[in-house]
Amino acid sequence: MADFTAEVYQNEFLPDGGTDVHAIVTVTCTGAGAAGQAGQGDAGEIVIVDTSGSMGEVNIRAAQQAAVAAIDQIIDGTWFAVIAGSHEARMAFPVGRGELIMVQMDNASRTAAKSAVSMFRADGGTAMGTWLTLAARVFSTVPSLAQKHAILLTDGENQHETPEKLTEAINGAKGRFQCDCRGVGSDWKVAEVRRIAQALMGTVDIIPSGAEMAETFETLMRQSMSRGVAAATLRVWAPQGAQVLFVRQVSPTVEDLTSRRQEVNALTGAFPTGSWGDESRDYHVAIRLAAKGIGQEQLAARVQLAVGDNVVAQGLVKAMWSSDDTLTTRINPEVAHYTGQTELADAIQEGLAAKAIGDDATATAKLGRAVQLAAETGNDEATAKLAKVVDIDDPNAGTVRLRRSVDKLDEMALDTASTKTTRVKK
Amino acid sequence: MDDAVTECPSCHVAVASSEQFCEACGAELSPTVAVAEAVPSEASSQAIPAPQDLGVTAAICQTCGGEVISDGYCGTCGARAPTLRDHFTEQPAAWVAAVCDRGIRHPRNEDAVALAADDEPGSRAVIVVCDGVSSSIDSDVASLAAARAARDVLGSSRSQGMGTASSLVAAVIARLEAATDAASEAVLGVTHLAKVGAATGNPASCTFVAAVVERDLLVVGSVGDSRVYWLPDAGTAVALTVDDSFAQEQIASGVPRAEAETGPQSHAITRWLGVDTPNHSPTTATMTLAEPGWILVCSDGLWNYCSEAQDLATLVQKTSGGSPAAAEPLTLAGALVDWANAQGGQDNISVALARIQSLAPRSTREEA
Repeated sequence: MADFTAEVYQNEFLPDGGTDVHAIVTVTCTGAGAAGQAGQGDAGEIVIVDTSGSMGEVNIRAAQQAAVAAIDQIIDGTWFAVIAGSHEARMAFPVGRGELIMVQMDNASRTAAKSAVSMFRADGGTAMGTWLTLAARVFSTVPSLAQKHAILLTDGENQHETPEKLTEAINGAKGRFQCDCRGVGSDWKVAEVRRIAQALMGTVDIIPSGAEMAETFETLMRQSMSRGVAAATLRVWAPQGAQVLFVRQVSPTVEDLTSRRQEVNALTGAFPTGSWGDESRDYHVAIRLAAKGIGQEQLAARVQLAVGDNVVAQGLVKAMWSSDDTLTTRINPEVAHYTGQTELADAIQEGLAAKAIGDDATATAKLGRAVQLAAETGNDEATAKLAKVVDIDDPNAGTVRLRRSVDKLDEMALDTASTKTTRVKK
Repeated sequence: MDDAVTECPSCHVAVASSEQFCEACGAELSPTVAVAEAVPSEASSQAIPAPQDLGVTAAICQTCGGEVISDGYCGTCGARAPTLRDHFTEQPAAWVAAVCDRGIRHPRNEDAVALAADDEPGSRAVIVVCDGVSSSIDSDVASLAAARAARDVLGSSRSQGMGTASSLVAAVIARLEAATDAASEAVLGVTHLAKVGAATGNPASCTFVAAVVERDLLVVGSVGDSRVYWLPDAGTAVALTVDDSFAQEQIASGVPRAEAETGPQSHAITRWLGVDTPNHSPTTATMTLAEPGWILVCSDGLWNYCSEAQDLATLVQKTSGGSPAAAEPLTLAGALVDWANAQGGQDNISVALARIQSLAPRSTREEA
């Protein structure tokens, strides 16, 4: 049985009249076990591979190897399927029984699936919404599934359906499965694929060349198979009259969860967090309270992790009004760190968006701020990626110049990595 | 009970192996036999909240009437339910009592008191007060652990020296030093538990003051700015401790007390118990109790509003309805805490009192 713990990092002291409480809550899971093995329902996996014409012979072969690598990681007994995506979605495996189904992994189905994958041909256009819709329908054919996860690979823009159609498909798939998305090469749009990944509680990243595809798929599937807790929600209780300003995941990546609130009761909201393996995730919770008198103490939030209806960990976020400046002016290092990392993600994305439309002034300012924040928060990976897009004159002041020739892959890698955060150095 | 005889490692006089201190020189011993006598206040300490067990005292929220959840906060408005740690009393014997209170302006009660006393009035009492430094982490836990550790050391030792007045004083001072060591160890233990504190440069710390009554002998020891006063029913009241504080340094250099104690740095203490203290050796003082009166041990939560000994004596006069000799210690301590809260309750308040009524001189041989 998995064990969860919650730790709270905050400065609970507020000055006279202070209203806003910020806290970082670290939730850690240990003993998660393997997917589908906890007796809480089965695990299901779908591998969705772009087989559009633009993939070409080289990338199709790489995609075949990647799908095989993923299939090899799927634990026996797991329900699975493979979807080939182009301007329409097609069941690649299993096929031929006239209805959409999944099969359980064993030696025979593994061999059959690999053979089906070897038949991929590059042909047609790209309509990712149709892929998602098919995947959702396929998952729904197996009622025993508690944990549903897909890997989606694309190489290009969503040219063969309107953005509205894609939105419709994303909304239809939301909450029905989690999806890690990967783009190969530089012809796909980060913002488009990020939209899918964020809605479906997955990750987005770039695979620079086909050669790295198999390793990426293997890693993603192994990770998914190690998530023995099918689904958990973060619950945030705030007192009557208080306002939850935001609830954000801030590690390992920045994801704003605020709008995903589902009501548990009038004072408690639940935020889906998907499946869990042995890992830690950090959440930034901000609450606005009515100010109380000096010397008063109250609870600003109970932050809990719930598996089903069971609360398995709780952290208490407190507020104490004090007239002692040495207490109230203290800045909590975790809160400061993640506030900076969140701003860093925004600065990178806004800077790259400005650069894309030729607004060099905004791009320079935003990316300069990003360089400064990356230096301040010790995010060396972000600094390295930023240095490939801008020439850094002074990292502490954030003075940068846009580089005239930038490798598109470097720019996309900066974009996809923008939400990745580093932990506070202890 | 077979009380074997051994030798004091310091002065080589024969001592009983159950003794914690040498009868002759007051040196600390390592007793090989457990002390037969029970710690006088063992029963009363059961009633006091353990630092880890901050028991909530009400199931219904006093702010909104909602239900108090097991985590100690209201399930509706989030108000913290009052705990025993916020306000507790001790009275190990009818003549010795203390009240320890959060006050109004501090969210936590970081003061602590711990007492021990024999039933016979005026015979034997131990009073310890520790005031947690509010800018340090877990000082509420540290102060209580420190006060109790010191009380346990002082309450369990009855060495009388060789029976002469001066050897008794030496023995009690040695006990006080051992008690301060124990209190310091307790604070360090809390810091060790909460590694966060050490890492952020705010390790747990607290003041220390102890008063030991051995019949007509009163010995006090302090580190920091918690105080002991002697308030005779008639005659001149005196403060027996000298603060280790910036204000005290200013007073020593000629600044008037009222001015020094209200200055911007007035609450900065120069010595304390904690990992980062310059030293924690208690400054001790001794007096012979020769008339009826009150021993008052308190934190700055009280004396901030009434610092001069004579003013405190007047306050006790007034608070006890003009007859301090007739006052009940717990009632009087409670009334003094209420008074400090009525002045604003800017800090946590500890008030401990021992009533010295009829004098019970110790049976000592005349000094040679």
